[in-house]
Amino acid sequence: MSSLPLYVKCLWACSVLAQLFLLIFLFVKGNFRKIPYFTAYIALNICQAGFIFFLYSPWGPEPHTIFVLAWTSESLTLLAQALATFEILGVTLRPYKGIWGLGWRALTVVSGIVVILVVLATRSHWTHAQWFELNRGYHLTFASAVIACLLLVRYYSIPVPTAYKMILGGFCFYSCTEILINTILQALLHKSFYDYQPIWQASRMISFIVVQVIWTTALRKPLPVENSQATAFPDSTYQQLSPEINEQLRQLNEKLLQLWKLEARPH
Amino acid sequence: MSLALLSLAGFGALLLILLVWVLVDPRKRTARNDHMGLAADFDRRHVIYFPQVRQALAAEDFAFLASRGSREMIRRVHKERRKIALTYLSWLRSDFLKLWRLARVIASMSSQVGAAQEFSRLRLGLAFSLRYEMVRIKFLFGSAPLPELGALSDLVSRLASRLETAMKDLGERAALAAKLASNLDGRSLDSR
Repeated sequence: MSSLPLYVKCLWACSVLAQLFLLIFLFVKGNFRKIPYFTAYIALNICQAGFIFFLYSPWGPEPHTIFVLAWTSESLTLLAQALATFEILGVTLRPYKGIWGLGWRALTVVSGIVVILVVLATRSHWTHAQWFELNRGYHLTFASAVIACLLLVRYYSIPVPTAYKMILGGFCFYSCTEILINTILQALLHKSFYDYQPIWQASRMISFIVVQVIWTTALRKPLPVENSQATAFPDSTYQQLSPEINEQLRQLNEKLLQLWKLEARPH
Repeated sequence: MSLALLSLAGFGALLLILLVWVLVDPRKRTARNDHMGLAADFDRRHVIYFPQVRQALAAEDFAFLASRGSREMIRRVHKERRKIALTYLSWLRSDFLKLWRLARVIASMSSQVGAAQEFSRLRLGLAFSLRYEMVRIKFLFGSAPLPELGALSDLVSRLASRLETAMKDLGERAALAAKLASNLDGRSLDSR
């Protein structure tokens, strides 16, 4: 810790302070009852900051152990992040049973494709930077899956309270910036990465502080009451109407195609 | 920078752009507004004007005018017909979009949604948008043989009545769904 420059230490302190504010807001406004996993995620982040502080202190273990323990604690917070996101998605999409079911399938397909692409793209770096690659792979999969869900939400015009949108947006923004920071720094500072470690840490912390500010703004008021049931049609209605509408759409499409063909005919 | 790292950075940037696009919706539409809009939209079906459009685009009328009228008048009529054709095309699109939107509302309010049906509808929507733009550009630049548009009317007229009946039926059901949805929303508001 003592080897870190002052500006990194200041950013670290700001980040912890922002998280503490957020945790206080969660309890004061009673939002911790509505989103317990998210609250646990914030609490875990604060604990992780304390743990890392201890690791880098003069009483901490040897460098290799620090490296392994720091990345292990990061894995735990990433797991908590996934659970918190799943919780928010559940709150917003679960009342729409059909779309929630569709969202699940979309998540599985998108995550599967991204995992395969990440493995293919990073297999050459795997041996000397496995933690780094695991971290970036996770953020790539996570951001793609959340954006796929947000696309579904937009496509079906599902009303999502602004606070939940801001929380999901914050998670996604953090993951996207992590991908960009890790990739760009890995490419530019490949040979002397350890010399530039403070830049890497500072840029990650700045993006995390931005996210904390977004979340604190979102959670300054109590969260809206969950709509437990938004489906109005029985199963048979969709089964009957959806193919009917698709058929109508197909016919309109064919008319347009015929118009195109009519035009293409020489006169 | 290797190709793999470049593609990863590009993918990250693409995700960030997508995130901004997904979160910033200039229309600020909500599902409830959609339901209301749908109910109102079904009172303004465009296909009912089809006979008038058909008359305006009849090849016989144009041939008659061409044989009797001045060059100036023929040019003006040609311009008017192009305008009608473009308007008709936008009606076709509007009807398509209404059906497309209605299907999404029904899906969002159903307890079971078929992935194949939804994917097929998305594909239809993308194909329609592409073709629509292609045909519109042709009309705009005047390369389309406008008198032949009359043939389109025969193709569409059969669909028009069927579509109108179907849309009326679907509209009634969607309005019912919207009413149910607003009742549900009201209940959740009351519970606060």
